[in-house]
Amino acid sequence: MLYIHRATCISPQQTFPEVDMERLQPSADNKLKAIEPTYDGIPPGILRRMGKAVRIGVGAALPLLHHEPAPHGIIIGTSNGGMEDCIKFLNQIIEYEEGMLTPGNFVQSTPNAIASQISLLSNNKTYNITHVHRGLAFENALIDAFMQAKEHPAQHYLVGAVDEISTYNYNIDFLGGWYKKEPISNLDLYTTDSPGSIAGEGSAMFWTNSHPAAALARLQAIDILHTGNEEMVQQRIQRFLSKHLQPKEKIDLLITGENGDNRLLKYYTAAEATVGAKIPVARYKHMCGEYPTAVAVAFWMACHALQHPLPQHVFKHAGVQQRFNKILIYNNYRGVQHSLMLVVKA
Amino acid sequence: MGVMSAIGDTVAANRTALMAATCGISRLQMFPSRFAGLMPFGEIKTSTQTLKKKWNTHEPGITRTMLLALAAFEEALTDSRLTTAQIQSPRTALIGASTVGGMCLTDELYHDANKTEDGSEYLSSYDCASVTLFLQERHKMHGIVNTINTACSSSANAILYGARLIRNGIARRAIVGGADSLAKFTINGFNALHILSPEICKPFDQNRKGLNLGEGAAFLVLEKGEDVIGKKIYAELTGFGNSNDAYHPSSLSDQGDGPYLSMKEALIAANLVATDIGFINAHGTGTENNDEVESKAMVRLFNEPPPFASTKSNIGHTLGAAGAIEAVYSILNLEHQEVYAGLNFTQPIPATGLQPVQAWKPMPLKHVMSNSFGFGGNCTSLIFSKV
Repeated sequence: MLYIHRATCISPQQTFPEVDMERLQPSADNKLKAIEPTYDGIPPGILRRMGKAVRIGVGAALPLLHHEPAPHGIIIGTSNGGMEDCIKFLNQIIEYEEGMLTPGNFVQSTPNAIASQISLLSNNKTYNITHVHRGLAFENALIDAFMQAKEHPAQHYLVGAVDEISTYNYNIDFLGGWYKKEPISNLDLYTTDSPGSIAGEGSAMFWTNSHPAAALARLQAIDILHTGNEEMVQQRIQRFLSKHLQPKEKIDLLITGENGDNRLLKYYTAAEATVGAKIPVARYKHMCGEYPTAVAVAFWMACHALQHPLPQHVFKHAGVQQRFNKILIYNNYRGVQHSLMLVVKA
Repeated sequence: MGVMSAIGDTVAANRTALMAATCGISRLQMFPSRFAGLMPFGEIKTSTQTLKKKWNTHEPGITRTMLLALAAFEEALTDSRLTTAQIQSPRTALIGASTVGGMCLTDELYHDANKTEDGSEYLSSYDCASVTLFLQERHKMHGIVNTINTACSSSANAILYGARLIRNGIARRAIVGGADSLAKFTINGFNALHILSPEICKPFDQNRKGLNLGEGAAFLVLEKGEDVIGKKIYAELTGFGNSNDAYHPSSLSDQGDGPYLSMKEALIAANLVATDIGFINAHGTGTENNDEVESKAMVRLFNEPPPFASTKSNIGHTLGAAGAIEAVYSILNLEHQEVYAGLNFTQPIPATGLQPVQAWKPMPLKHVMSNSFGFGGNCTSLIFSKV
């Protein structure tokens, strides 16, 4: 079992350092950009050299590292890392025809720069890893932390996810048909019947271990699947719930990754049908947009929902219930990378 | 096991070349770069088109990195004699690693990222995960699938992650490895850091001038002991250590805490003492920084280090593939009870005086350590043991 004790989230909404999700921040140009804090903990000289992905990752991680003891591992999921720096460097290669280049962008662009900067700034020489499996990068990081906590029950682990919107990945994914062509607002994300979503970015960090005392949440189980078949997804959800819940035990909230892409709606409809019509359904991508590790926001929101009420705008179907104890998160990325997480009250 | 490198496209061909002290590092022939005439690379002299034909991959979006991975992956699958049902089982994990992914397609990526024209066929092929997803899709795998990028230690971490999935009962078996192809992105990045050698690299030599980039792929099939009765068992992965040097984004600390700790943790995990290690497949890139720090860390841990050498003098530094390729080489050390020569060595580094193995020789070996250290301080050591 993995227990979550502290959680931070830098997102396009007011989630860091104080949380106020009631007032929904609007998107601009089909993008939801992270609201960046002032980063008091990062030395200015180092901060200047950081790209946004590294900045929001380190910025969300450092407050969790101010507490003793130091973590025994830093486990990060990111699909692209510092994409802006990566293409800046690539552009230099093309534009200067492989001339004399400065290495700054190259070094900052490697996806492991986030985890390694966290280690460097906190002088942490323990386990350090970066999972980059696109839409399942965060889930794999969580599985890693889940195993670490089991392997080393006395230790603590920092696990988190980061991805940024850069002009470049926006262009690539726009050309790929993953963002809407027509301008929309995040307030209308779920009512536009067209392909594509809106772009987003953010980071979420979690302090985890195997101790239940005073924990915010417990990650009961996690599963991932690659398929383009919604029946297979349904079967997997059924099997997952029957394996990890007692007979007659039910979840009391489903959080889905519905993202306004009408090609993917069938998976979310299938997930809702599988858990049953009476279960309240919440969504989150109108707050953070779509990106490969957006599901980390759902995980952060689940930890939050076990302690605090959720704002009304997240509910697709609300029930009478205001407090939740057993939350299932179902997310999919581009209709092929699916994940299930059961997050329960510790 | 399966492997593809500049010295051969099968495990057997790689062993033959290692025994003969073959160096596969040479002038670039397969792709145009300003550096083609200036410095040597561990290039695989088979064109991307030829690889596509050989593996019958005619769907759009296929990159060279995917094809190198496929070659090694298919060899490993055939060697493992896993059934289709076993490969597609939800209990079979696939853990890949890459640092370049599809960024070998510099010009296509430039146009797509800057939206200079309509999208190319490679829009979903640039990231590191694209390589693993290609293998997953081709074999319809339904278990845990993951991709790791910790720079030059990526595929060593893929191996330890697969082993941990099995130990934790999350997977019954894991296919683990990595692939990288030569790319202008990495060539120019390493060149900007002034660590590419204008001549063929000389790991652990006093007058080393840097590393040579290479390309390749390797995959290994990990199974639980009770599942492999009656099958060929190459070796057991008995220990692994992962540690961060926490010193600098692109160089190792003078005292080499990261390398020292990863080697030490691997020993502890394997329940071994330093004197049990018979041979070290060193990271040994041939850079000023790495070889001196790695030497010092070996002395710090072993006092008198066991025989060691770096196969990067044969194939160059294959980045995300290096950990997996060198795991295969370490397993060949154990299987055939032999060690391979580190090439181009003449004078030891004054600070340690260590000399790598300089000729092929038979050697009784029980435990072999393989080191992989990367940018961002990501250090990983693996220990393979004779079964």
